[in-house]
Amino acid sequence: MTHPIVAKAAAEGRGKLREDEALALLKAYGIPTPEYAVARDEEEAVRAAEQIGYPVAAKIVSPQIVHKTDVGGVILGIADPQGVREACRRLGEVVKRVPYAELEGVLIQKMVPKGVELIVGAVYDEIFGHVVAFGLGGIFTELYKDISMRIAPIDEQDAVEMIREVKAYKLLTGFRGMPPRDVPAVVDILIKFSRLVEDNPEIREADLNPVIALEEGKGAYVVDARFILQI
Amino acid sequence: MIPKLIDPQSVAVVGASTKPGSVGYVILENLVTRFKGEVYPVNPKYDEVELWGRRIKFYKSLSEVKDPVDVVVIATPAPTVPKILEEAGMKGVKAAIIISSGFAEAGNAELENWVKAVAKQYGVRVLGPNCIGIYNAYTNFDTVFLPADRAGRPPPGPLALISQSGAVAAAIMDWAARRRLGLGLLANYGNKADVTEVELLEAFAADHRVKVITVYVEGFKYPGEARRFLETARKIVPKKPIVAYKAGRGGAAQRAVKSHTAAMAGTYEMYRGLFQQAGVVEASSVREMFDMAKALATQPTPRGRRVLVVSDSGGMGIQAVDALEALGLEVPEVPESIARELKRELLPFAAVSNPIDVTGSATDEHYKIVLDALLPTAFFDMALIVTLMQVPGLTKNLAKYVIDSKRYGKPIAVVNFGGSELVQRFEEELEDQGIPVYPTPDRAAKALWALYKYGEVKRRL
Repeated sequence: MTHPIVAKAAAEGRGKLREDEALALLKAYGIPTPEYAVARDEEEAVRAAEQIGYPVAAKIVSPQIVHKTDVGGVILGIADPQGVREACRRLGEVVKRVPYAELEGVLIQKMVPKGVELIVGAVYDEIFGHVVAFGLGGIFTELYKDISMRIAPIDEQDAVEMIREVKAYKLLTGFRGMPPRDVPAVVDILIKFSRLVEDNPEIREADLNPVIALEEGKGAYVVDARFILQI
Repeated sequence: MIPKLIDPQSVAVVGASTKPGSVGYVILENLVTRFKGEVYPVNPKYDEVELWGRRIKFYKSLSEVKDPVDVVVIATPAPTVPKILEEAGMKGVKAAIIISSGFAEAGNAELENWVKAVAKQYGVRVLGPNCIGIYNAYTNFDTVFLPADRAGRPPPGPLALISQSGAVAAAIMDWAARRRLGLGLLANYGNKADVTEVELLEAFAADHRVKVITVYVEGFKYPGEARRFLETARKIVPKKPIVAYKAGRGGAAQRAVKSHTAAMAGTYEMYRGLFQQAGVVEASSVREMFDMAKALATQPTPRGRRVLVVSDSGGMGIQAVDALEALGLEVPEVPESIARELKRELLPFAAVSNPIDVTGSATDEHYKIVLDALLPTAFFDMALIVTLMQVPGLTKNLAKYVIDSKRYGKPIAVVNFGGSELVQRFEEELEDQGIPVYPTPDRAAKALWALYKYGEVKRRL
């Protein structure tokens, strides 16, 4: 059953969900994301930041920009209204530098405390259908192909095994004096995310990157999400 | 209809030939001289021929065969196949094995589609085309067109193999035959125009003679197949272990898979995930697959991961521990009280913690003392026994003590290495009595790991 957010984007011929749509889709499936709002100008951005509470992050909302970080489209750790205004101006400059890019707005998002960064993804394969992938963030995941995969939808047992299967699992259980992380919250995200992709066959590719796992009992949050659709 | 395909009572061979070495000749020879059912050779060129000391009657066509036929084996040139299949359908035959090549694999997809259409129209289930078909050691139903002096036929036994590659399957047969490994059923599905590995899995699962199913796969071919494999395997695995080896893992290998199987195939990581999800034990080579299968077919499921290692060579014991620990198995110490007792009964310089080193001066009795003292206790879940028979104190009688230890209901794997006749006889006796033997500690360790892994799977599903 395709979700209206996905259906709308597909109907409009858009091959990628906007930042705020992606986050709204996650919310609709009960996947935790930090509080956010999309502002159209500086004043709206400041109001949103005041309401959400500092520190916040500011991110470009532009359909033409796929990798926001690469073009400097993400500003983290903003602590006051002055910072929000500055961020808005800088993001405006960024958009001007990218050919054909349009700025639809600025996403103001609550900063998540430091935690262990994870990647949750999905791809559609003709033979396998939707496959869900899990790995720990950072270059080592890619370097050692340290990822686990399962066919969607997955159950709780599958999700637990996916997490334990990666070699970097130790980083979640408390390595070198680091606190253990909220693994059940990550399990919950994996299960809900697998249901999300299963429900929406239009999704060709999805990345939740990063997912931040906090200390035990404090949850896990998807900070950024990218959905590529078949149109 | 799949059971008829792999276990028929009667078979017609279209394209049966009297020309030695030809495909139609070898298949006919297999069936006429060894198969325990009825055989009807079909070839309009012959009437009655004297072969293999028998008078063999040939039929002009399938319709001339008046008796009912369970399966038709077709080994004629590709363009003639659709017509023959149609004749089989009109006769009411429900299963066919198409050995012939020259279909989709040779760029002739149209001809293959024609075969599919005929099969569908008459409700005939088709294995192949472009395959070696079935080897059934229980009844000697054997469509493998490689003569037995080149590709040996394994004895009947608890293992079954589903292989995407015909050549790999034939090589495995030959290898298993020399090792007297009981490979009871083998199927190769070639282009997979109709019957798939998933259906073969189901059929093998339902066959009570099969205890372990091995699967050699390069890549799936049709949309949605991975999901079907997952669902089917999940149902089978609680009752019967499946061991799979996926060949073609990355880069150039994956390119080769694409051209070899015409399969679009997901990445290796997807297959790995699928096997985990399905509870299928994954092997990393053909040899390892059968190392594991042999243990799974003969040994009980361990309750945990703690391994007792007994060796007459300290070095081999250490190697065994390395291999076991690398696989996540445990080699716990022997409790103090039992260790004291062992110290009294074994040689003064024996090591009694774990690995236990009965030393090169050991006798058969020393192994027996260790096994009887430790295997029945709650401290160990399985045993890896190294028996280097080159030392003077050991005799063939040691086999009896190892076999007797089966009564403790825990898995045992033996490492035995060497070339003397004693070594060979010792190994044969153990294997005949259901104790798997391996030439190196790492192979025995991997087999024990497979047992542990299967235990985990059973506890989960």
